[in-house]
Amino acid sequence: MLEKQILIVNRLGLHARAAARLVRTASTFRSSVRLERADHSAVADAKSILSVLLLAASRGTELRLTVEGADEREAMGAVCALIESGFGEEQEA
Amino acid sequence: MSKRAKNEKREMRWRGVAVSEGMATGRVLRIHTGGRQNIYRAMLEASEIKREVRRFQAAVRLSRRQLLAIKRRAENALGAEHAYIFDAQLLMLEDRKLLDEVEEYIRQECANAEWAVKVASDKLLAVYAKIKDDYLRERSADIEDVTHRLLIALSGEAQSRHLTEDAILVAEELLPSAAAELDFSHVRAIASDAGGWTSHTAIIARGLGIPAIVGLRELYRHARTGDEIMIDAGQGEVVLHPADETVVHFKAARKLLPAGAGANGSNNGREPLLTTDGVEIVLRANIELPAEYAGVQLYGARGIGLFRSEFLFSQRGGVPSEDEQYAAYTEVAALAGADGAKVRLFDLGGDKHLAGEDFESERNPALGLRAIRFSFRHEEMLRTQSRALLRAAARGRIDVVLPMISDVSEVRRARRIIEEERASLQTQGQETGELKIGAMIEVPAAVLLADKLAGEVDFFSLGTNDLVQYLLAVDRGNDAVAGWFRTLHPAVLQSIERTIKAAADARIPAIVCGEMAATPAYALILVGLGARVLSMTASAMPRVRQTLARVDAVSASEIAAACLQCATASDAEEIVRLQLGTRWPHLFSPENLPAPKREE
Repeated sequence: MLEKQILIVNRLGLHARAAARLVRTASTFRSSVRLERADHSAVADAKSILSVLLLAASRGTELRLTVEGADEREAMGAVCALIESGFGEEQEA
Repeated sequence: MSKRAKNEKREMRWRGVAVSEGMATGRVLRIHTGGRQNIYRAMLEASEIKREVRRFQAAVRLSRRQLLAIKRRAENALGAEHAYIFDAQLLMLEDRKLLDEVEEYIRQECANAEWAVKVASDKLLAVYAKIKDDYLRERSADIEDVTHRLLIALSGEAQSRHLTEDAILVAEELLPSAAAELDFSHVRAIASDAGGWTSHTAIIARGLGIPAIVGLRELYRHARTGDEIMIDAGQGEVVLHPADETVVHFKAARKLLPAGAGANGSNNGREPLLTTDGVEIVLRANIELPAEYAGVQLYGARGIGLFRSEFLFSQRGGVPSEDEQYAAYTEVAALAGADGAKVRLFDLGGDKHLAGEDFESERNPALGLRAIRFSFRHEEMLRTQSRALLRAAARGRIDVVLPMISDVSEVRRARRIIEEERASLQTQGQETGELKIGAMIEVPAAVLLADKLAGEVDFFSLGTNDLVQYLLAVDRGNDAVAGWFRTLHPAVLQSIERTIKAAADARIPAIVCGEMAATPAYALILVGLGARVLSMTASAMPRVRQTLARVDAVSASEIAAACLQCATASDAEEIVRLQLGTRWPHLFSPENLPAPKREE
């Protein structure tokens, strides 16, 4: 099992588009991918859009990412890269 | 039937205003305001469960294919960035959390897929409603959209043969657009947070003869689709998650109710209705939904006094075509027979929004672009409606009613348009029939100028609901001012009398339609004010007929005359309470008379 603290950096937070990209990415791996708010107020299965949206993670929210399974290393890398890149929304006004 | 422990949910009670009589038990079907749903709870046999789960999965696949196609179109038209919203919806359809929950519900509760989808989505919406982030909270619109798509996909398949008829609609307020899409043959009762005696909820419920209670604050928020619920209009009470002993008590009470309460009465209207002193009163029917058509003959209406044509919109979604309207008006005229049908032009705008068309929201819709004003603004729509009416009039007796007339020039303009369309139809070789034109008298200006209007139209239709609203400046959908909505206000009574007199002087008929006529005590006052034709919800007719057949018109005019002299609504109500209660105690028990209102 791998764990990592990660910060939501994009302006819009985990809104619909970002959440969709996160779920798409997480779903390509066999490992389970979980996100939990650092304040423990909500936990989400990163393969479920309904659950990810409920995190209501806006910019600056700190999340704990937990990945477990056969391809956990690859999954962790891909999900972290996506979140840290701000879901590629930089150019937006 | 339910294996769930009943005690897991606490019994909750509400008190509201009963607007349609009766008692019912069933399961909540939440109606999202403005949304469209058409789903009921069915109990499946164990052998059907597998098939039902597969049916759900097929609907999910179909919905996904549709969404993918829409997404591709959006990408082509708008670019990939803007198509992302469909990604979220597509992912919802892949979301195991949602899919598993629905499938589990089907298996555990032996429920039909539609019901399971609705239960799961209601649950999700409740969770989303709590999110503090506005943007994310709005994603509930996506959930609703996905749910809607799934339900449509499900409806495409053979279904609904063994639906149990136990849905009790719970809404904030049942809007006509939502109401028109429901198959009311499966609805047992209606309960809504907002509304009063003349709200749409009330009118629809009385038309269908099912119990309804309104003014139930926050019931909608607490109720979930599938919850057990009981409604007792006699007590004005709603019980959510009833405890076992409550159910037993309730069922015992219901046994005491006469079968088909309200619809009793041996004289079902085939013979003329005469007061004891021989004055003939004609009862006609107000209709809007096809579900109400049966009542017209059942209760012996002398034709249709008011057909609210705008309901054709919400049923068909979008502007109904000339042929669709022609078919509908022909059907209504056939139903009305020799007594004819009065079709009111689309009363759109205001609180009656068109499905699928965006309207700029008005700050003051009741005083805004609605009814005849809306029709003039959308003249093509008015011309189409005129053509359909003229053609239908060749097949049956049809009159047309112009809503919200405030000036004679509006009558002239409408008449000119109708005659232009007649000429155009005739040059095309189409058959047209005679179309009498009447004005709805509901705006105070029309009352004051009733003598002038009477010279321009063939009849008057008095719309008492809107007349009270406009005359007393009371929004009839607003709970906070419900206390100001006083049907017996002397200003209202004087307006009615003045209008009826203007019609009599001009020798044109005046017909009173509006919920006022459906209440026996008020119907008696209307007769006292000179009304001889009353139009009402068909199911109210037996009650009104029984009352009017046992009173005399002379007494009615004496009482009405006394009310006309009053300075306040309370004085007039007091006279009605006292006079009716002492002259005909067997007809008017205290609860059938206007209750005294508290004054400041």
